[in-house]
Amino acid sequence: MKQTLVTGNEAAAWGARLARPDYIPTFPITPQTECIETLAQWGADGELPDTYFDKMESEHSVMSAAVGAAAVGARVFTATSSQGLLLMHEVLYIASGMRLPIVMATVSRGLSAPVTLWSDHNDFLDQRDSGWLMFHAENNQEVLDTVIQAYRIAEDPRVLLPVMVNMDGYVLSFTDEPINIPSPEMVDEFLPAYAPAHTIEKGRPITVGPPVLEDYSIFRAQNHVAARNAFEVIEETQDDFEKIFGRRYHMVDEFMLDDAELVLVTQGSMSTTAKAAIMEMRSEGIKVGLLRLRVIRPWPAGAIVRALKDAKAVAVIDRNLAPGKGGIMFPEVVETLYHLDDRPLVSSFVVGLGGNPQTEVKIKEITSKLKEDLVSGQPRVEWNDIEEM
Amino acid sequence: MFKIRIHGRGGQGAKKAAKMIGMAAFKMGKQVQDFALYGAERRGAPVMSFIRINDAPILERGHIDDPDVVLVLDRTLLDLVNVADGLNENGMLLVNSQHEPILDTPAVVKYVDATSIALDTIGKPIFNTTMLGALAKLTHIISIEALNWAIEEELSHYPKELIEANKAAVRKCYEVAK
Repeated sequence: MKQTLVTGNEAAAWGARLARPDYIPTFPITPQTECIETLAQWGADGELPDTYFDKMESEHSVMSAAVGAAAVGARVFTATSSQGLLLMHEVLYIASGMRLPIVMATVSRGLSAPVTLWSDHNDFLDQRDSGWLMFHAENNQEVLDTVIQAYRIAEDPRVLLPVMVNMDGYVLSFTDEPINIPSPEMVDEFLPAYAPAHTIEKGRPITVGPPVLEDYSIFRAQNHVAARNAFEVIEETQDDFEKIFGRRYHMVDEFMLDDAELVLVTQGSMSTTAKAAIMEMRSEGIKVGLLRLRVIRPWPAGAIVRALKDAKAVAVIDRNLAPGKGGIMFPEVVETLYHLDDRPLVSSFVVGLGGNPQTEVKIKEITSKLKEDLVSGQPRVEWNDIEEM
Repeated sequence: MFKIRIHGRGGQGAKKAAKMIGMAAFKMGKQVQDFALYGAERRGAPVMSFIRINDAPILERGHIDDPDVVLVLDRTLLDLVNVADGLNENGMLLVNSQHEPILDTPAVVKYVDATSIALDTIGKPIFNTTMLGALAKLTHIISIEALNWAIEEELSHYPKELIEANKAAVRKCYEVAK
């Protein structure tokens, strides 16, 4: 298949274009702007004749407009990053609570203050409990493929939840990589037009998001059930995607895990570098593998247990920080493994905040520290980027 | 893997140059990765861009600390930025300059007056594309044919005369580089 050189932002734009959205509300923010710029250029060039673009005055308004459009049955796409994603935060809960299958590309960037434009995952993980389904891509091909998959999953009647597809800023969003751009015909076969079951229509009024007071917990429970229903819908979607496009995705990405005693748990683009380091360490006889968390919500506990149950020691590498607590994914992984009779030792490493480079050397350092932890029997909680804190 | 780092100033086209090198190598059937690293984009500030070229898929990501070649678009950066950082004796530093730069580096130092070539050929100081002619000549990592294709693709929104002028400048720079 013919490959094209595109950035992560352009890959997300291609995914959206191929999904034929009805409506794209927009607001610029680095390092995402190129995504909506690309879509807007296509719109201006007449490549997206059935898509209506809106320029809003803030990200809060972008998500509010997305909610309104999705409620009347439009297929909606938008993208944001960092401070913009935080400004949307309030409305994200409204989108999931109203069960609106909006798809949004997010481009991770460290949060202010102080200001960085480079990537870490606090902005994305800040939305962890918002009721959105959350995917984190490793490379530009996965960005495009996951945006297409996201519509299938979001619009499935068993789910009806919004989906976020995250990529790391700069390292993916501004980086050209060769990817396959599927033909519109293939995507049309995989992703039929959106046929919403319940919409606000002229002459057939319905109520969405009203005050429910004492019945609130019923709706929250339905939200939780819908998110858990997504497990089987994601599996089916990944199967169908492979049949049509030939590329296989899993909720977690397993790399050299057979016989691995040491396992690194990663998220996003640093996984690629870690895989290179693991291949080198394997050639030196070190039994190390990698588990990449691709789906964050719903939390694929079963897949994680299956992947990690035979490991002796696990390093959760968090590119995020909850000050006063530590890495955000570390406790999630520990909780998932806690009930195993023979659970691995789990150490925590917080690295790469604000785009601090994650090199193969650093990955090897983490692996040798994890090996020390296995020998001593003492897990560690460490900040890998700064010697003394 | 072949790694190139470009130093320039915001507005000089370091990002575009990286993209064109990437596209040229991609056209030649290579795996490539190119990107620019900057803070808040502003004209005149030092910026960097990066290109990785390989036969196999590229697993390394981010900033390049151990380049094979460093391209410096603006010689006034030599006093501000350690452009030779990470270059060894097998590496090459290629500077846009009218005279030989004095630099403390084990790498081979080459220079070409891309600004004058651009002014003579294009009529504007578009030295980011121009310099790629020297890169093609001195490294063979990209061919002049692939570079011409990349220029046509990347500048397809511009008038044909400008595309041809850029190609002529690249050709001229290719001829004079040594």
